Amino acid sequence: MAKIEGYEMPDELYYHTEHSWARVEDGNVRVGMTDFFQQQAGAVVYVDLPDEDDDVEAGEVCGKIQTRKWIGKLVAPVGGTIIEVNEEVNEDNTLINKDPYNEGWILLIEPSNLDEDLGNLIHGDKVEEWIKSEIKRAEELKAQGGGGE
Amino acid sequence: MEKWRYIKEWDKLVTPEYGLAVDDTLPYSVAEKDSPPILHLYRFEPSAIVGKYQDIRAALKIDRCKELGIHYNRRSTGGGTVIMGPKAVALGFGISLKHPAMQGGIKGIFNTMSQILIRTLADFGIKGSFRPKNDLEVNGKKIAGLSASADVDDAILFHTSLLIDFDINLMLEIMNTPVEKIYDKGYSCFSERMTTMEKEIGEKIDVEVVMESLKKSFEKQFGVVFEEDELSDWEKQKVKWFDAKRYRDEKWIFSKRHPKYKMGEGLLKTPGGLLQVYISLAGGVIENLMITGDFFSTGEDINRLESNLKYTMVNRENIENSLRQIWKDDIIYGVDIPTLTTAILKASENCV
Repeated sequence: MAKIEGYEMPDELYYHTEHSWARVEDGNVRVGMTDFFQQQAGAVVYVDLPDEDDDVEAGEVCGKIQTRKWIGKLVAPVGGTIIEVNEEVNEDNTLINKDPYNEGWILLIEPSNLDEDLGNLIHGDKVEEWIKSEIKRAEELKAQGGGGE
Repeated sequence: MEKWRYIKEWDKLVTPEYGLAVDDTLPYSVAEKDSPPILHLYRFEPSAIVGKYQDIRAALKIDRCKELGIHYNRRSTGGGTVIMGPKAVALGFGISLKHPAMQGGIKGIFNTMSQILIRTLADFGIKGSFRPKNDLEVNGKKIAGLSASADVDDAILFHTSLLIDFDINLMLEIMNTPVEKIYDKGYSCFSERMTTMEKEIGEKIDVEVVMESLKKSFEKQFGVVFEEDELSDWEKQKVKWFDAKRYRDEKWIFSKRHPKYKMGEGLLKTPGGLLQVYISLAGGVIENLMITGDFFSTGEDINRLESNLKYTMVNRENIENSLRQIWKDDIIYGVDIPTLTTAILKASENCV
């Protein structure tokens, strides 16, 4: 488990620039939101999730994650068919905050184009550089008074 | 000067399915038909309207609504339950986040809208202010709630309702509240926490005059002129679509996609007196809470503490952080942050 400036960013995961993560499990892809997202966004108040059997494309906004501060987008890191939605997260949205990489997972996708989609995600050595630039961007936003109540 | 559209329906009361369908159409018209920003001011027939993510059966006594002929429905924006009627102005506003007037994004629109409502209240000699998370208050009592949803591309719908007059007894009749066990207490709890324009100035206020003032406040805030307009044919079709697909659809109204809803009460004897906390939780987050008891404090301070705790995760660290943000010495005489937190956690542990 890599910890980058206070944010847990597990090594084995692939990351989308909109802060969803992808974990390959037996050919399927489990998806959730990063620790960086949950720490920055604060308590998740509502989630708008897609339905099982929906088809999604890589990079498509397929749900909304609302916190007190903003409405975050749930972006599918890979394309394919949604085969499971975590109903536990529907009942207790804060699982996304409490355990973003395990109990707080959101979707399970049967991928249609896995290798190519994974190639477009952030992984390995590139994660640290990306998170550091995101931290800088968040600080700049804060300095401008953005980021909500 | 830029011209924006104004759709005014003051001379009739509309059903929730119509009013909400028109509001939902606004951001679509802005995003897909390049409409200038649209302001929709109107009034509902007596209605109870829950927020998008609420459990309607937990929030409302549906049978009682039916008996009393009160409409009930679910809007597409977040937030809590509102009870609407002839003396509450409903406001829907559609605008693109890319519009030059929208500098601050989602956060900006809450600040901007608050300023508009505050200006309108001032027209009637009422001093309002914004209270985080999403309420407008007068002397510590709520007079309006704000909600927004980013819906279509970059266009958003903003919703609010401004209370000119309000029937608290009706609200207690049709809403499930954590304090309903003792009716009198329920009444005093809510009347200490809510106010209306008529209550503030002690005289009757004409709805149309309030609408006119709101329109002028918008014009002043944005430096634009409104032109009264009607829905285009395309918009009318869209309204029909929302009406059928959403607001007359039981699946939408009784949506099961909401966090688990629970209510509970916590009692704690403290050196400052008895603390009674009533709480409702949506998933792991505080949706509503009331702090009562026989301690010494001001209603205004208590209401601010309660408002600030809304949407806070139920654990000691988050609750204490939220209290610390607005705590001042002796805000509740003889009670400190850890003690109040214990009472709140007790209430959440008793939730069923």
